[in-house]
Amino acid sequence: MADFIKHPEVPLPDLDPAPSFSEEELVFTEEERAQIAEYVRRYPTADGAVMRALWLAQEKFGFLPPEVIRLVAETLGIPYAQAYGVATFYTQYYKQKKGRYVLDVCTSFSCQLCGGYDMLHYLEEQLGIQKGETTEDGLFTLQEVECLGACGSAPMLQVTNGPYVFNLTPEKLDALLEDLRAGKMPAFTSVTLPQDEDEMGGNRRSDAPQSAVYETPPVARTLE
Amino acid sequence: MPKVTIDHQVYEFEGRPKALQFCLDHGIELPHFCYHPAMSIPANCRECLIEVGMPAIDRETRQPKLDKDGNPVIRFMPKLMTSCSQDLADGMVIRTHRTSEKVARAQQDTLEFLLINHPLDCPICDQAGHCPLQIQAYKYGPEGSRFEFRKVRKPKHIKLGPRVMLDGERCINCTRCVRFTDEISKSRQLTIIERGVRNYPITPPGVTFDDPYSMNVIDICPVGALTSIDFRFKARIWEMSSAPSITTTNAKGSNCHYWVKDNLVLRITARPNAAVNDYWLPDEDRLDYHRFNENRPDGPRIDGRPATWDEAYARAAEVLRSVPGEGILFLGSAHATVEDNYLLTKLAKALGADVPRYIPHVEPGHGDGWLRTDDRTPNAEGCRRLGIEPVDEAMIRAKMEAGEIKAVYALEDDPVAAGLFSAEALANVPVILHPYHTTNETLPVTDVALPAAMVVETVGTYVNCDGHAQRVRPAKAIRDVNRTLVLEMDKGRPDKHGTPFDRWHHEDHQVNCRPSWVSLPAVAQKAGHPMPYKGPKYIMAELARTDPAFSGATYEAMGLSGVRLESVGEAV
Amino acid sequence: MEATNGAPQTKAGDWRSYERVLLPPVRDLHKIDVYEQHGGYEALREALTSDRWDPKSVTDEVKASGLRGRGGAGFPTGLKWSFMPPVDPDVPRFLCCNGDESEPGTFKDRQLMEYNPHLVFEGMLLACYAISAKAGYLYVRGEYADWISHMERELENAYAKGYVGENIMGSGFSCELIIHKGAGAYICGEESSLMESLEGKRAYPRIKPPFPAQRGIWGYPTTINNVETLACVPLILRRGGAWYAKIGAQRHPGPVLYGISGHVNRPGVYEYPTGMLISDLIYEVAGGMRGGKKLKAVVPGGSSTPILRADMIDGVTMDAETLRDAGSMMGTGGMLVMDEDTDIVSWLRRVTHFYHHESCGQCTPCREGAGWLENIVTRIDEGEGRLRDLDLLIDLCSQMEGRTVCALADAAAWPVRYTVTRFRDEFEARCRPSLVAAG
Repeated sequence: MADFIKHPEVPLPDLDPAPSFSEEELVFTEEERAQIAEYVRRYPTADGAVMRALWLAQEKFGFLPPEVIRLVAETLGIPYAQAYGVATFYTQYYKQKKGRYVLDVCTSFSCQLCGGYDMLHYLEEQLGIQKGETTEDGLFTLQEVECLGACGSAPMLQVTNGPYVFNLTPEKLDALLEDLRAGKMPAFTSVTLPQDEDEMGGNRRSDAPQSAVYETPPVARTLE
Repeated sequence: MPKVTIDHQVYEFEGRPKALQFCLDHGIELPHFCYHPAMSIPANCRECLIEVGMPAIDRETRQPKLDKDGNPVIRFMPKLMTSCSQDLADGMVIRTHRTSEKVARAQQDTLEFLLINHPLDCPICDQAGHCPLQIQAYKYGPEGSRFEFRKVRKPKHIKLGPRVMLDGERCINCTRCVRFTDEISKSRQLTIIERGVRNYPITPPGVTFDDPYSMNVIDICPVGALTSIDFRFKARIWEMSSAPSITTTNAKGSNCHYWVKDNLVLRITARPNAAVNDYWLPDEDRLDYHRFNENRPDGPRIDGRPATWDEAYARAAEVLRSVPGEGILFLGSAHATVEDNYLLTKLAKALGADVPRYIPHVEPGHGDGWLRTDDRTPNAEGCRRLGIEPVDEAMIRAKMEAGEIKAVYALEDDPVAAGLFSAEALANVPVILHPYHTTNETLPVTDVALPAAMVVETVGTYVNCDGHAQRVRPAKAIRDVNRTLVLEMDKGRPDKHGTPFDRWHHEDHQVNCRPSWVSLPAVAQKAGHPMPYKGPKYIMAELARTDPAFSGATYEAMGLSGVRLESVGEAV
Repeated sequence: MEATNGAPQTKAGDWRSYERVLLPPVRDLHKIDVYEQHGGYEALREALTSDRWDPKSVTDEVKASGLRGRGGAGFPTGLKWSFMPPVDPDVPRFLCCNGDESEPGTFKDRQLMEYNPHLVFEGMLLACYAISAKAGYLYVRGEYADWISHMERELENAYAKGYVGENIMGSGFSCELIIHKGAGAYICGEESSLMESLEGKRAYPRIKPPFPAQRGIWGYPTTINNVETLACVPLILRRGGAWYAKIGAQRHPGPVLYGISGHVNRPGVYEYPTGMLISDLIYEVAGGMRGGKKLKAVVPGGSSTPILRADMIDGVTMDAETLRDAGSMMGTGGMLVMDEDTDIVSWLRRVTHFYHHESCGQCTPCREGAGWLENIVTRIDEGEGRLRDLDLLIDLCSQMEGRTVCALADAAAWPVRYTVTRFRDEFEARCRPSLVAAG
């Protein structure tokens, strides 16, 4: 958390970067183009579709190097500079290549008070990296993120802009790392409402693969 | 008419002006950074804050409430408003920093914030001396800073393109540059990237900021974040004089300032004129100044050898007298002023020659429908209005071959380089030339060279492609001492021209040339056709009086922003 | 609050017997057929096809309910709708539903969108009908990717059943609903920056006026409401504005999804009426303090709402008026509870980091001030603070509050102002001893 405040440096993006993808790779398939056209139809102008199209590109290419952002802009027919400005504004768009799994540990607000930093530091130890870094095998990137909107299940994390993992403990993190190493993403977890627990005896959804119940949050050892 | 009260003074207004622009128009200075009259209003710098109040309305009577003195009760908005985005309304009461402590404090607060991450490198910043941040921090800012932490470091000296350099740390994120490329030039090559305090403007990777109007962002940048690669570190602003004039790169005649130090033009910046170029200037106009400094002649020459001006005038007159008038080809010039071309037509007429023609310099495809034109000369329209038409090359060459042309008198152009004649064709014909440069390709076959003052050294009038007549003023001194030039330059006023750092009065870079409105009458006088004009102002006054094509184009009327002439005949 | 019979007075009535309406105890209510079986889309059918309802009467019913926005500002919803200009058939109109839910401490909308998505859709459709909009955008933060795909699936079902799209239920009213996926930016919860984001731009808030009703997305008249706000609308139409107005606190009525997090035994989202006593929420609803610790402080409605010391919550209920009098705000109803062991300085440091990280950077006071605040609080946290830093913090807050395009500068300043003021002794104690004397 203190990184930027201690070393307030804004790096220059490589203005003449070597492309990460070849000309042949740098295309959308017919299906993807149709999908983007469908996004465009949802808005009065194509600009509105830029966020969805960037999402689609990030899922396809893994991250958004400049040439991919340019491809998105060209596909939508909007200025490249606009798409680039948008891509750099939002934190979930990866401008750099990340590990196969990105672990976004929330340390904000409630999570801070319920052990978010303890979980972050535990992962740092287990993975042998500092937050913001990627493991040498390219498997994990560890990040500290702002509130993910799951304060009642603190501490928690999100895996690669996808599933949330709630009520973290070191044991739970061990199991998560093991699963991920085996290529197994955590399943969607439904958070059971305490009132449902009382009135319905558990989670109300019959189709949620797994659910988490409220837990008395742990005592945070560190607040950073 | 609706009324607004600003700092206790009542003003009437029309339409729906914004408070900031209204104040500026009425001489009330309000500090501001992001606001630019030609672009959208983001109100992001938060510097132009004011207090805004409206008369309180009694709910029952629907009339304004009055206090015990009978004055309307004013209800002020709890928050300060940005004057740039504030519409005026009838009865509105505004307090600026001049009458409101709250406003003065808020403006100071914003400046304190603006400065915490701004590098205080004014001593090495090109913008220093004419920097809105520097000036307004001095006038409205806090005396010191309470910020005791590291400033944010951002990329510096980044070439955004061939002409514009970025210093991200100096940027205050006013977004003027991005809005310029989005809304004005529409090249959309710039964007703000990142978020929050990391923000700064840049091109996306792989894009070069080569917008032909890119350098306008330097003018509108309120700090030294965007500077000119060309002008970087060449001179401090307080070492230079500037003269309001126009550019002559093309037929648009965009308004500019020529910035001069030691009689060298070092940069050209835009000068607003709603009738011509708004606030903008194409890059090519800005970089078109080396020709004023380089390859300039050192006095007149006869047959290639140095001579005095009097000798040269005498020799030119001798040439003109030695051939029959109808055998002299007079070439006017679309580079030269209306006044100079007019004198040439008078000389031609006096000698019984045909009406002069001019050599067009048209580059199809160069124009962009905005401030660049296919025509690369500034005064083709002025020539046309004087009855000077483009040369008929085939006919002229045929005449030359037939030996019908006995002498050539060419004003401020280069017939050989323009391809009108070959040097060989001119070898046996006497040539009198008013050249700008020693590189003029007609010079080797010129008998009498009378070096001419360029636009930055003379006084005169140009008519742009839309029929807008505009005056030019001398920006730098020439060797010759001329009363008209001295007056126009305010040379007698050190506060107006020259600076303590400027050696404009040294001869070093003073070109030994003369305006053609000096040389032409001198030649005419010696040829027996006196032209008793006291100066270009009087020439223009005569034209404005006698020629409907220049009706109204007196120096007084043209002033600093020019005069739109009545359209006459077909435009070129 | 006045005490009655020596016990604090709740405005929530007999909350123990309260029956949930936003999230009623119905298994698989997120499935469209279950939703239909429990009266789902009936309010929409009624509004679109019965003579009793037209856009104005729907708006009036919402006005009569007293519904106030659940996104943080608590603005009366019906009144907001009535700001839309008269219908001009050539000018499109839009609804935005704000599901960005990025205020730290807030996690209720996610649960509502998961467990009762059709209620949200129905609310959006009714709002579209009331304001004559042909399309409604549901802006959901990008982090909620899984919930977005769930909702998209349910939205498809709603389209398939003819509740959304062309000529809904044969009424002649057509309306599209579109789910927009964000990508990680707190600022997008601010309504005007949300609209910029929808338009595919960097999410810089816009100056007001013009307000969204005058110039919203793509310059067209737009109304923007929070997810939970719109979810109340079908209930209001089903059971009447008068019914709704009687729930909870009189001037801020209705059910609320309280998100309780922090040092309580049963954190989570709870549905209860407005006007619940904070102490009831902590000790009765959320199972009391973790480990029997003493309460230190409560942040009642998301990170930007002013913090309340334990001694300030006596008799304080969760509704706009009472919280304002108590020195805080209702905000989003996302309540953070801190126990006596909490290091308030370190906590504030993290909060200032959040706002520094999330400032969009458009306006000077917020862009520069948020970082400055973090710098100072960090220095104090590290024991290097000076006493004068505390006054400087308050001063900087004054320089930020109300001085920017949107309210984020205020949101960044309030936690600092109120935490430093209300826990000043702890901040002073943390300042470097050798520098305390020096000031």
